[in-house]
Amino acid sequence: MAKRPDDRRLELLQGTLDMLILRTLQWGPQHGHGIGQAIRAQSDDLLRVETGSLYPALHRLEKREWLKAEWGVSEANQRAKYYRLTATGRAQLSRERDRWSQLVDAIGRIMNPAPASKE
Amino acid sequence: MWPRTPSKDDLDAEIRGHLALSIKERIERGEDPASARLAALKEFGNVTLTRESMRGVWRYRWLDGAEALGRDMRFALRSLLRARGLAATVVVTLALGIGANAAIFSVVRGVLLRPLVNRDEDHLIYIGQRAPGLGAENLTFSIAELNDFKARITTITAFGDFSTVDFALSGLGGEPRMVKAGVVGGSFFDVMGLRPVLGRLLNPNDDGPNAAGAAVLTYRFWTTALNSDPNVVGTTIRLGPRTATVVGVLEPSVPYPADTEIIANVVTSPHHLGATMVTDRTHRMTELFGRLAPGVSLEAARAELTAVHTAMVREHPEAYSKRANVQLRVTTLRDQIASPARTILLVLLAAAAVVFVIACSNIANLILARSVRREGELAVRAALGAGRGALRRTLLAESLVLCGAGAVLGVMLAQPFVAIVARYAARFSVRALEVTVDTSVLWVGAGLAMGAAVLLAYVPRLPSPHAPTGLGLVSGSVRITPGTSRRLRVFATTQIACSFVLLAGAGTLLTTLIALQTAITGYNMRQVLAVDIPASATGADLGSAKLIDFYQEATRRIGKLAGVEGVAVGMSVPWRDAGRLPAVQFAVEGYTPADGEENPHARFRVVSPRFFAVVGVPVLAGRDFTDDDGGKSDPVAIVSQSVAQRLFPNGDAVNRHMWWTDPYFGKTPVHRRIVGVVADVDDEKVIRRPAMAVYQPVRQIGAAERLFVRAAGDPYALVPAVTRAIREISKDQLVERAATLEDVRTEVLSPDRLNAFVFSGFAGIALLIAVVGVAGVLAFSVSARTREFGIRLAVGSAPRHLLSRVLQEGVLIAAIGIAAGTAGGYALSRAAARFFATVQLPGLLPLTGAATVLIGAAVVASLMPAARASRVDVLQALRSE
Repeated sequence: MAKRPDDRRLELLQGTLDMLILRTLQWGPQHGHGIGQAIRAQSDDLLRVETGSLYPALHRLEKREWLKAEWGVSEANQRAKYYRLTATGRAQLSRERDRWSQLVDAIGRIMNPAPASKE
Repeated sequence: MWPRTPSKDDLDAEIRGHLALSIKERIERGEDPASARLAALKEFGNVTLTRESMRGVWRYRWLDGAEALGRDMRFALRSLLRARGLAATVVVTLALGIGANAAIFSVVRGVLLRPLVNRDEDHLIYIGQRAPGLGAENLTFSIAELNDFKARITTITAFGDFSTVDFALSGLGGEPRMVKAGVVGGSFFDVMGLRPVLGRLLNPNDDGPNAAGAAVLTYRFWTTALNSDPNVVGTTIRLGPRTATVVGVLEPSVPYPADTEIIANVVTSPHHLGATMVTDRTHRMTELFGRLAPGVSLEAARAELTAVHTAMVREHPEAYSKRANVQLRVTTLRDQIASPARTILLVLLAAAAVVFVIACSNIANLILARSVRREGELAVRAALGAGRGALRRTLLAESLVLCGAGAVLGVMLAQPFVAIVARYAARFSVRALEVTVDTSVLWVGAGLAMGAAVLLAYVPRLPSPHAPTGLGLVSGSVRITPGTSRRLRVFATTQIACSFVLLAGAGTLLTTLIALQTAITGYNMRQVLAVDIPASATGADLGSAKLIDFYQEATRRIGKLAGVEGVAVGMSVPWRDAGRLPAVQFAVEGYTPADGEENPHARFRVVSPRFFAVVGVPVLAGRDFTDDDGGKSDPVAIVSQSVAQRLFPNGDAVNRHMWWTDPYFGKTPVHRRIVGVVADVDDEKVIRRPAMAVYQPVRQIGAAERLFVRAAGDPYALVPAVTRAIREISKDQLVERAATLEDVRTEVLSPDRLNAFVFSGFAGIALLIAVVGVAGVLAFSVSARTREFGIRLAVGSAPRHLLSRVLQEGVLIAAIGIAAGTAGGYALSRAAARFFATVQLPGLLPLTGAATVLIGAAVVASLMPAARASRVDVLQALRSE
């Protein structure tokens, strides 16, 4: 896989990392490395999560009980911490998804106003 | 379950796991292991920094909440400073509630719960004898009874005996004076488990008629009267006619059964060695203590004592009449000391709790009103993302600040409160004397404040996250919902109801007090000075010719003093000497008791000629005693009107004979001719009841010990001259406690006055808080309805009409409160009746009085809000929203 130029990469929007993590874990338990890779792969390499942001975020979500962590053995035959979505995490994901689409919608209207508005 | 905080190793393992995966991936892509490792590390960035920020997520987990609360507290402090009036009201109200509760609780703890200093105090018991048939709560014991117990009881290792006598004490500096003293057997101090702080206490070697006189000083007497003089041991003191050596000082302990200054051995009291004391089974003046044998329960000892007592009663029917119904009572000493105070303290505790409920509901009202005003602010904060928890925390912080301040002030108030309540409770239990503010006050205060704070934080309703808050958000002004208004009214009604209960209680005590204070006694109250002139200091025996001459000479000399209208001697200062002289059985010529009826009882009184004129009691028939009614002349008596009416229904009492039938007066009693009938007076009870009394002339008996002087002007101005006149005859004679009958009554009534005072204090606090509460509710309701009033005025309502509407609202709250209070109070008294023998329901007067006061208070409280409602500016009101 050829390396893409750096300027193609996007900065993560403030406050969206939690939502991306929750969304990624919807498919099943995963360790930190796997989550980072999944976000990168699914965004077609446009989004890269720094480990310095990813891990504290994982712990923050665990503390809020949106995630639950268990120790397991990774593909590298090493001890690794697997994160799993909890019920409250699932609820939080749906809240964040709603807010996200409202935000996208609102910003979309501002950027591309409809030709004929209601008033 | 909360997630566990990961350890440093866990964090490292997680990072290592990540790197391993990263390296493995690179190797699989074809990189060589060394560069793959380097690239992975490079990509990861600063490992330490990442680990620390992971740890940071967890680090302040516990502090987070506290920190937020601290922030909220600072915020609360700032916002409360803007509402100073409200904050001050809440803090003061709460401080009164907490202070009263903390003080009463300290006293309850000190008096009822704390163990005594006596060694193994749980083994220490008090044995009492009561005779409900004679109305005697504590009959005490005679030496004969004590000896029976000593001979037959096995569950008690030793008995201690204590009797109270008055001694004329001299030899410890100062003038000779009467002191209260204990006379005890040698086993007393060992049974009580007390130690000396100086010298030694009394022991069995001090028993018997041949021991040397020995006395122990009580700690209070030693420290207060003698400035803790360390050389006092060995001093010889005079106790009336006898002498004794001070052998030691007792450690500080509860002075029970009597608060005496000294405790002496039996030999110092001639009376204790006399035949009557030793052999007469009915001559009861000894209090009995016992120490339980090891392993014996109170119940076992009680069972054995009761069995022995029952046998005693059977063996000596002459000493225990059927009518008296003598019963034995066995309790631990601690309960015995506490029991008289228990009821009054529990009642006070209940009153304090009621005040606290009133205070809390008032504060709840204020807080609720405030939070409704703040609905706009809360809505804004909710819209900005504050969760319910955060909002609740804001409210909690505010109530914590308020209640914390209230608790601090309350604990400070508790100090003087404890002093007042302890002095008050000391009248019922000597233990209250030692009560001081202890740390329990702090805990009680803190506990009450915390409870109140949490309660108050949950009073206001939060803006619901589901319901639209748009309205509150937009207008930012007060919106009163029916629910809030109902809650406000419930709290106000609660206050009125609780205040009503307290007011009715205080009213009952006040009416009783006024009845006592204004009762017509039959005595001349203002001009008669009563003085104690005890005989024991001079060594003159009661009944001796020397004493009769002394009385004769004293009245002659005092009668000549300027400003003296009359002087006489008697035996009993009304009310002050109540209970000193028991009623005695007697018989009269011409009256035979019906079958099964006992001989009548009458008060035995000795008076000098002119006594009745001096104290203002009219002679209704016959004559007064004269100076000729002496030892050599005909024995005579004067009876009270009750005796004359009951025993001589034909009105022919004069010149008939009476004689005492009590064995104390000997086998062949003197028959006395009745020479006069005087009006009834009651020298035992302040509220006069028909009292059977028989008076005898002092010159035929020779025992009086009380002087009565009738003054033309100020009675107290005569005291120095009277004292001088008596000392001129006998220089050692004690002259004590001079007081007018009016002042004697006032002094005797001081417990009733104190009762009424303390309760009125509680009721006053409650009333004050309730007035603030009602006024607050109405003011709030008026200001919330400004618009409504504006519309009413606009469509033609008269301002007067609005005024009366608001007043009616206030009166309605009060009326519902009073009804609830009546119902609640009645239920409470029914419940209390199960625990206390005498629960008195208040009469109609206190009830209507309390109701009137409350309605009046409600009207006053409604006036200001009502006036504001009627002055609402129509335009302003309509525009206000």
